[in-house]
Amino acid sequence: MKRALIIAVQVAGLYGLYGIGVWLQHWFHLPILGSIIGMLLLFFLLMSGVVKERWLGDGAQFLLSYLPLLFVPSTVGIADYLSLFQGRGLLSIAVVMISTVMVMTASGAIGQWRAKKAEKETEIHQETKGMNG
Amino acid sequence: MERAVGFILLTLVVYEVMKKLYVRFYTPLLLPIVTTTGTLVAVLLWFQLPYQTYMEGGKWIGRLLGPAVVALAFPLYHHRQTLKRQFWPIFQAVCAGAMIAIVSGACFSVLFHLNKKVLFSLLPKSVTSPIAMDIAKEIGGIPALAAVYVMIAGIFGAVFGPPLLRALQITHPLGVGIALGSASHGVGTAKALEIGKEAAAISSIAMTLSAILAAFLCPLFVSVLL
Repeated sequence: MKRALIIAVQVAGLYGLYGIGVWLQHWFHLPILGSIIGMLLLFFLLMSGVVKERWLGDGAQFLLSYLPLLFVPSTVGIADYLSLFQGRGLLSIAVVMISTVMVMTASGAIGQWRAKKAEKETEIHQETKGMNG
Repeated sequence: MERAVGFILLTLVVYEVMKKLYVRFYTPLLLPIVTTTGTLVAVLLWFQLPYQTYMEGGKWIGRLLGPAVVALAFPLYHHRQTLKRQFWPIFQAVCAGAMIAIVSGACFSVLFHLNKKVLFSLLPKSVTSPIAMDIAKEIGGIPALAAVYVMIAGIFGAVFGPPLLRALQITHPLGVGIALGSASHGVGTAKALEIGKEAAAISSIAMTLSAILAAFLCPLFVSVLL
């Protein structure tokens, strides 16, 4: 019961940060979404030590463990567009799928290649440093 | 009021059951977001209820999405060292992904003779739905339709992405995270969370970056080339 209360309070805290993010977006007419501004804000607050991890950690863990559920109300919106799954609409879905595969393959491959290269460079760097010292 | 509570409870119960089913059989086709959505859509169609009615309750669950995105700061914070070390590889890969998303979406739409309104609605499909809807509105698409394409990209990527990446031997958490985040936004990030905390952290960075990039690139691409 106590744990539920802690989670509820912390979720409310995260909601507050989200509210600040939305407010900042409107106030400065930013092209970035309020929730993402809130995320960046929390990240900087954690990095600078202003906000301690234990203040919001449990609430965050709780929300993230239910993340797929939180998307369900928007995905159910497909119900209004079922005609897309017939006739020419199917082609547009095919376009989305092909493009998704391309994005995934390219960004994943480039990311892995660059990451491995960067890791190798640090290793070599450390080895040479080791040899000199 | 009662109806709203009913829809919230229905969503929670269906989701819990589908999660159990997924854990029991563990195949990507039974991903809870897919089966829960499918079941709820079937219920709405069976009782001939409009989506709007469902949203009287559904919106309360959706409302937690904002704070949940804020909560993604935690995996980011836990992996701050990786983030610092790997910022450039992530940035380059996500840039490539964002450009390919737009160019391939446009090319195949033209190739398949889709009409312009559809093209403009599916162009921002790789980014999180609120941003995609804004982008669609700006370039002359239909926001609600954009949200549907976003969900198709998300679900398709979450279901078939992991086996595809394994087949291509992309197993580095950085590659997996970037791939899921830049192709399938939040739904992909939720899937990455299942794979590992590091992949999820990178996926949330990738989804954020690609949303910001798409907000600039889509209007630019449309005004220059179409």
